[in-house]
Amino acid sequence: MKISRILILACLVFAACSTEDDGGSEVGGNTDDNFDRAAMLANWADNIILPSYQNLNKETQTLEELANSFAENPGSSELTALRNQFKVAYLDFQNVSMFDIGKAEELNYRSFVNTYPLNSGDVESKITSGSYDLNLPSSYAEQGFPALDYLLFGLGSNSDEVLEKYTSNENAENYKAYLLDVATRINALTGEVTASWEGDYRDAFVDNTSSSSNGSVDRLTNKYVMYFEKFLRSGKIGFPSGAITGSPSPINVESYYSEDFSKQLYLQALSSSIDFFNGKHSGNSQTGESYKSYLEALDRGDLADDILAQFNTIQTRSEELDQSLRNQVETNNTLMLEVHDELQKEVVLLKLDMLQALSISVDYVDSDGD
Amino acid sequence: MKKLLFSAVLAGVTLVSCTSDDSLSPENENVETPATYNFERDNSSTVDFNGQTTRLQMAAELNSNFNDFDNATEELLLNMFVNENAPFENASLNESSKSVKSKVAASNLYFSTNTVESTEIKNDFDTYISEQMTTVKSAKDQLAEAGVPGQIADGTSERYVNEKGLEYNQAFAKGLIGALLVDQIANNYLSSAVLDEGDNRANNDAEITEEGKAYTTMEHKWDEAYGYLYGDPSIPSANPNSVLNESDDRLLFNYLGQVDRDEDFAGIAEETFEAFKIGRAAIVAGNYELRDEQVAIIQENLSKVVAVRAVHYLQGGKTNIEEGNYGSAFHELSEGFGFIYSLRFTHNPSTGAPYLSKAQIDTYKEQLLSGNGFWDVTPETLDAISEEIAAAFGFSVSEA
Repeated sequence: MKISRILILACLVFAACSTEDDGGSEVGGNTDDNFDRAAMLANWADNIILPSYQNLNKETQTLEELANSFAENPGSSELTALRNQFKVAYLDFQNVSMFDIGKAEELNYRSFVNTYPLNSGDVESKITSGSYDLNLPSSYAEQGFPALDYLLFGLGSNSDEVLEKYTSNENAENYKAYLLDVATRINALTGEVTASWEGDYRDAFVDNTSSSSNGSVDRLTNKYVMYFEKFLRSGKIGFPSGAITGSPSPINVESYYSEDFSKQLYLQALSSSIDFFNGKHSGNSQTGESYKSYLEALDRGDLADDILAQFNTIQTRSEELDQSLRNQVETNNTLMLEVHDELQKEVVLLKLDMLQALSISVDYVDSDGD
Repeated sequence: MKKLLFSAVLAGVTLVSCTSDDSLSPENENVETPATYNFERDNSSTVDFNGQTTRLQMAAELNSNFNDFDNATEELLLNMFVNENAPFENASLNESSKSVKSKVAASNLYFSTNTVESTEIKNDFDTYISEQMTTVKSAKDQLAEAGVPGQIADGTSERYVNEKGLEYNQAFAKGLIGALLVDQIANNYLSSAVLDEGDNRANNDAEITEEGKAYTTMEHKWDEAYGYLYGDPSIPSANPNSVLNESDDRLLFNYLGQVDRDEDFAGIAEETFEAFKIGRAAIVAGNYELRDEQVAIIQENLSKVVAVRAVHYLQGGKTNIEEGNYGSAFHELSEGFGFIYSLRFTHNPSTGAPYLSKAQIDTYKEQLLSGNGFWDVTPETLDAISEEIAAAFGFSVSEA
């Protein structure tokens, strides 16, 4: 019985070897590579993830403050200031959205902060009733940045109509309260995640250098690739363009209500993903250990080059998109689909080729089978 | 002891594949050809393709309503295509989360980085529905002529055609054979990107089954391919060929039977079923080289069914045109058009691509539909297209 188990194990090891690409075949066992995984984890945590959260948290703090000012005095200049801050914070959120690990994963941070399309009907009825609990997972689609997008841009066709909701409307007090609750919750959740990285979680993350599927490298890499596939490719481009259904769906565009903002959000998320691949520090142009340097250490610089070339193609094609992806979908959806296809080519490079080269197994599958 | 022996054999097989030397022959001795498509683990069947059966039933109900001008509407048929607003008589279909449209031109291999074309193809099928229920429906009580939609006599029955002589129900149904069935089987479920996705091989080798299921992921993917061909409820899943040419299926299995009935292609149905059985048994045994040999047989045979029927109907149309039977000619050419449409989804195992390029196939479609379409098309054009298709697939026009 014991022998049989050993044999099965042997089979598994050899099976893994047989799927190895002809490039770095001697890396099969994945523990004997000389790459410093701890240095990569430290670079991720100290130079990218933590500063990105800290930067975002600073902005969500300001967001909450400006929401307070607006609630106290809902005037035109307060609205403008709050709208601008909403955009600043939403853009900065794109830099952390992929890091769904640790406290963020535990809190379902991304789901609470950026589930779209917003369920505006439910938002309206909750404002009317004045009774709601934003802690409930059933309210993902009623809060976060998509709710602010609606509350600041979607309540009327111009800013005077929007302001009316917060001033002379019979539910004005409830509108203000809901707006404030949403902004406060974004800030509170962001603060909690940021504090975890400032606290114990940083070491727990960096010290977990194991090359097993529970190691930090394997786990965050799966998160990174999944984010790129499901949230960036599908969420920002695929669903609005109907890449799977064949029917465009403008309501699925991120920041549906604030005109001309969706492309910026998408491009920010894209450059953030590229920066992470390169190990680029948050806020400056220095780079540290990364997927790129890991691949190079494994003698797979060719693959790193392919991945970067494809990122480049995606950026070039994406520049052609309209500032408003909603407008893009409604006028020339084919360009959206073309961008989607370029993103999907990158998914293949990351999910198949890179993960194989790094001997990381995919812990999620695209099981859209039956 | 038995288990130990099995592991040893497995180790042998994997070691062989590890050297990746394809001159070695696979160790087929450990894979016996099963008598039927029955596979079990711990006394439970591991075969499940209910999702495919669902989609085939949706397609069948949609097709059967295509010419029902009295009761069907554009909205109803479009709803059936996407399964929205409870469009089906069969209530269990309405409850399903699946739809036909979402799997049209949706294979991993051909369309995952080509949603531009995938969307164009989906739109073609939408257009067939819409045109049928607007243009053709509003002309149903007038006689068709060149450039004018309406009805046309075909013996004792009538056909409803557009202004080019095309029957949209045929374009839709025969196009779907390629765009849904062949594409999903040959280019999705039997592609290595799907069969070998993620840890499928390691999990299959270790018999790690899907959560709450009796099958491994790889086994299931194979069964899903099987289900698109043999999943109609009138077909016994263990031994489908027992109802060859007698089932209620009107899609790929039906035409596999029709091609098999032609003595030039006799045996293709049995060979295809054998390949499905052996490939499935090879997965159970972890013999992926043997599995992939069966994939190639299936891809080639199903592609050939599409091509043979395309040529068959073009030739039938030609004969009828020469005899002045326009109604019959248009019916056959409409079926032929649908099968030509389906050529785009064929899979040549030696290239991993369709047997004919998209550009060639587009040219054929254009030649058939330019000007007044079937009213104008010449026997020479039909012969030329037939010759090219037959040559690409390695059979002769007269055989079809």
